Parts: sequence; structure tokens; C-alpha cells
Amino acid sequence: MRRLNLLALAAVMLLAGLSLAGASANAREEPILLVAHPGVDTHRLKRDTTRAIFAMRQRTWPDGQAVRVFVLDNNHPVHARFAKEQLAVYPHQLQLAWDRMVFSGTGQAPERVRDQAEMRLRITTTPGAVGYLEREYLDDRVQVISME
Amino acid sequence: MIASKSFQWSDARSITAIALALGLGLSAHAQGDEGVLDTLQVHGFLSQALVVTDDNNFFGPSSSDEGSFKFTEIGANASLRPHEDVLVAAQVLSRRAGGDGSDARPVLDYGVVDYQMLSDQQRTFGVQVGRFKNPFGFYNQTRDVAFTRPSILLPQSIYFDRTRSLGLSGDGVSLYHEERLSNGVIRTQVGFGQAQAGDDLRRTLRLENVPGSLDPKQSAIGQIRYEHDGGRIVAALSAAQAKAKFDSNTPLQSDLTFRFRPVILSLQYNEELWSLTAEFALRPTELGGLDNPWLNDVTGESWYVQYTRRFLDDWQWLIRYDSLTSNRDDRSGQNLEEFTGGAVPAHSQFADDITVGLQWTPHPRIMLAGEYHHVDGTGWLPVQDNPDPSETSRRWNMLLFQLSLRF
Repeated sequence: MRRLNLLALAAVMLLAGLSLAGASANAREEPILLVAHPGVDTHRLKRDTTRAIFAMRQRTWPDGQAVRVFVLDNNHPVHARFAKEQLAVYPHQLQLAWDRMVFSGTGQAPERVRDQAEMRLRITTTPGAVGYLEREYLDDRVQVISME
Repeated sequence: MIASKSFQWSDARSITAIALALGLGLSAHAQGDEGVLDTLQVHGFLSQALVVTDDNNFFGPSSSDEGSFKFTEIGANASLRPHEDVLVAAQVLSRRAGGDGSDARPVLDYGVVDYQMLSDQQRTFGVQVGRFKNPFGFYNQTRDVAFTRPSILLPQSIYFDRTRSLGLSGDGVSLYHEERLSNGVIRTQVGFGQAQAGDDLRRTLRLENVPGSLDPKQSAIGQIRYEHDGGRIVAALSAAQAKAKFDSNTPLQSDLTFRFRPVILSLQYNEELWSLTAEFALRPTELGGLDNPWLNDVTGESWYVQYTRRFLDDWQWLIRYDSLTSNRDDRSGQNLEEFTGGAVPAHSQFADDITVGLQWTPHPRIMLAGEYHHVDGTGWLPVQDNPDPSETSRRWNMLLFQLSLRF
């Protein structure tokens, strides 16, 4: 009987440990930040505006400068997390929105980059550029835009 | 980028639209900053389908042994932003859906100069001038692009081919507005212009062999769309009015006016792995200049409910029930059959279609699809594929396969 109790206790501790480990793994997952070319004068964006920009429906920054949108591939985990966590849309919805813009004459597609290093390079060198990066890819050549 | 030289434009209006687009685009170009060509985008698509039916023909001789390959869609577009507020875009489309090869003659699908005059954190407002696509229901604007469709065929009760040209696009002006609310977005669009009236309409009105000309008149379209919570819930109401006039060259046929005033209510619920979509349409048509109660003033009714499910990253399956009633005052079609002495069978006045489909996208530029339809009625069966309605079968089955590519 005591042995069974010990076994149960061990199982509970193991489960608790696993769930704690899971929680801390989640906590360690880097937040994905909205970034822009350093020359962009807008430093804050509302989430709805950000969503409209990434859906390619809004083509300029609030101050009038043309936006150039950069995204990773649909199946890139950072793209999926940015879409879901920051824009609150699913990647398949974004893709469909882009296709509908491109093939109905109402907008253009965003520009694709292969990885976050290329994302950082393109954002650094393209006036009006907007994209997203994990914190570890940030440096002082890009500007972080805060989202309300 | 589009090799327009070899194309024969359908009419002078296309040329006007392009000239306008290019003219405005170039003048804006002269004012623009460096890097305008950096904004040039060129995209295209190609779809080829195989259609097999047991009875009746759909998009070619589909009930013959090997089925029909006469369903092909090819398009290419280019867009440019010569100025931060201006987008210039045009698309050429070649579409064959049954019929002979001449149907595939490339036409200007759209050609617009889009000026977004207001764009801030709260709202966007803009205008499109040229040939613009009509925002009608969820799918009309990109109805010929397989990658934007949930299935090979859109629900035919609403997106049928019989009066396709009349609702496709307008040559004129369209205004659009987007207003961001606390937890949603309202988008409205209104357009005024001249509709297209192609051979499809002429066949549907059974005027293909009558001397005379069928010309489109003014049309208007409006859509209001609400997207809640990042598009989890989408609702839209679309209304249109399109007119065409037939000037007869024979005393045997009087002049006719044709008016089409459809209204569509659209609803969609989106989750990460599934979507539920429904649309309901009322389609009043009026035919003036003819004393026939079965044609003068008829209201059709269409609706469908569709469930799509995504799985294994690049697969999607679909199930849909789609229903068309040609005349709400004669749902079974019995009255028309009696009136015509059996020449027009009752089953030509409705169509209930159960569809199951599968899509696989192994690469972002490639899509393979297959689907099965079981149909009761021939309400949306193309007239050109089945010239004699009395030779059609009421219950029929259809299998489609499609390969689609894009760049």
C-alpha cells in the first residue's frame, strides 16, 4: 500500500514537473516584435492598423509614407506565430486575403524573405519597410514599433 | 510585362481603360520617387480541368467517353505603385468553359488606377477608375482564380455561367472605404459603370440566332462587409443592378430590355482548421418588351452551406449543399412545363447539388483538386452545352479534376 502511495506521489510530481517544464518552455519562447526601417516616423501602431497593413489593404504609414511589407513563408513558425499572436489572424486567412487583392486589382502581395537574417537586411535597406523579428535578431539598424 | 500586342481586345472600351491606366500611371510615375520599378509585381495562374458526367454536358462534351478538357483558365496581371497613394493594376484573362477555342480569346479582366486618398490609423478611403471587378458575394471578384476558390466549381446556384458577363466587372468608377472599430472592421464599396454583356447572356436569353445587337447599359454595385475579431466572423451584404438592351434587326422579334437586380447575404465563420460559409441570394430579373409571364418578371433564389476543413498542413476537404430555384413562384417547374407543353422540362427550373471535394497544395505554386457532385435538376446547366432542354436528365453526377499553377 505504502509503495502504491509512493508511486502515486512520484507520478504526481513527475506530471507537475512536466507541466512546469512546459510552462517555462513557453515562457522562454521569444516574443516576436514588429520592426521597421529606421527612417519611419511612426513609432506606434494600433493592432487594427497593423493588421490592415499586413493584409495589404493599407498602403501607407499614418504619416503618408509608402509601406513595403516583408513576410516569411507561410509555413515558417515565426510567421505563423506573428500572424496568430500579434495580428490575431491565421496564416491561411492572410494568404487568401493577398490572393484576393492580387487577382482582383485591389492590391499587391507582400515581399517574401527566406529567413530572419534576410528580413533584417531588407528592412534595414528599404525605406518604409515593415516586418517582424524575434528579439535575438534585433540590432540598432532596425526600429521596433510598439503595438497598442 | 504583359505581351499585349498579340491580343485582340474585345472592344474600344478595353483600350480606353488601358490607355487611361497607363496614361495616369505614367504621369504619376514622372512625379514619383526613385524605386518605382521596385514596386512592379507580375503574377499569373493557369488551371486545367477534366470534367466527367454520366448524363448532361458541363463545360464541353463531358458525358462522352473520355470527358471534357474544355475548362481552362489562364491569367496574368501586373501592378505598379508609381506614387505612395496610387496603384495601377491590370489583368488579362483567357477562359474557356466549354464552347470552341475562340472563347479563350484573351480579354481585359480588370484595368484600374487606384488612388487611396485617405489612409490613417482609423480609416482608409480610395477610388478606382477603369474596369473594376464587382465585389459580389464572397467570391465574384476572383471567381476565375482556382487558388481563391474552395472547390473547382464555385457554388453554381450563385456563381453560375449563364449571366456571368453581366456581373463580372464594370467600366467606370468605384469608391471604397474601410473603417476600423474597436473589435472589427467595416468595409464598403460602391461602383458605377457599364456592365459587360457577352455571348453567355445572349444564349441565356435565347437570342443567339436572332439578328440584332445586345448592348450593356449602366450598372451599379454596392457591398458592405463587416469583419469581426480579425476575420473570425465575416458578414457581407451585396446588391447590384445591371441592364442590357437588345436592339432587334428583325420584325419577328421586338426590342428587349433585360434587368438583373441580385442581392446576396454572405456569412462566414473561420477557425484555424475549419470554416463554415453560407450565402443566400435573391435574383430578380425583368425582361421588358415581351408579353410572357414566365420571362417578364421572375425572381430566382439561391443558397448554399459549405464546410471546409484543413488537415496535414497542405490538404483541405469540403462538403457543400447548394440549391437553386429559378422562379420562386414555380419552385417545382411544373407550371412552366405545362405552359410549354413539355418542351421545357420542370427539372430545368431548379438544381440541388451535393458536393464533396478535396484540395492538395504540395507547393505554394501548385494545387491539385478533385470533387464529386450529385445534382438533382439542371437549373444552372450551361445552355451552350445542352441546347435542347428536353434532352437533359433530371438526376446526374459529375466528377472533376483540376491542376492549377501560379506565379
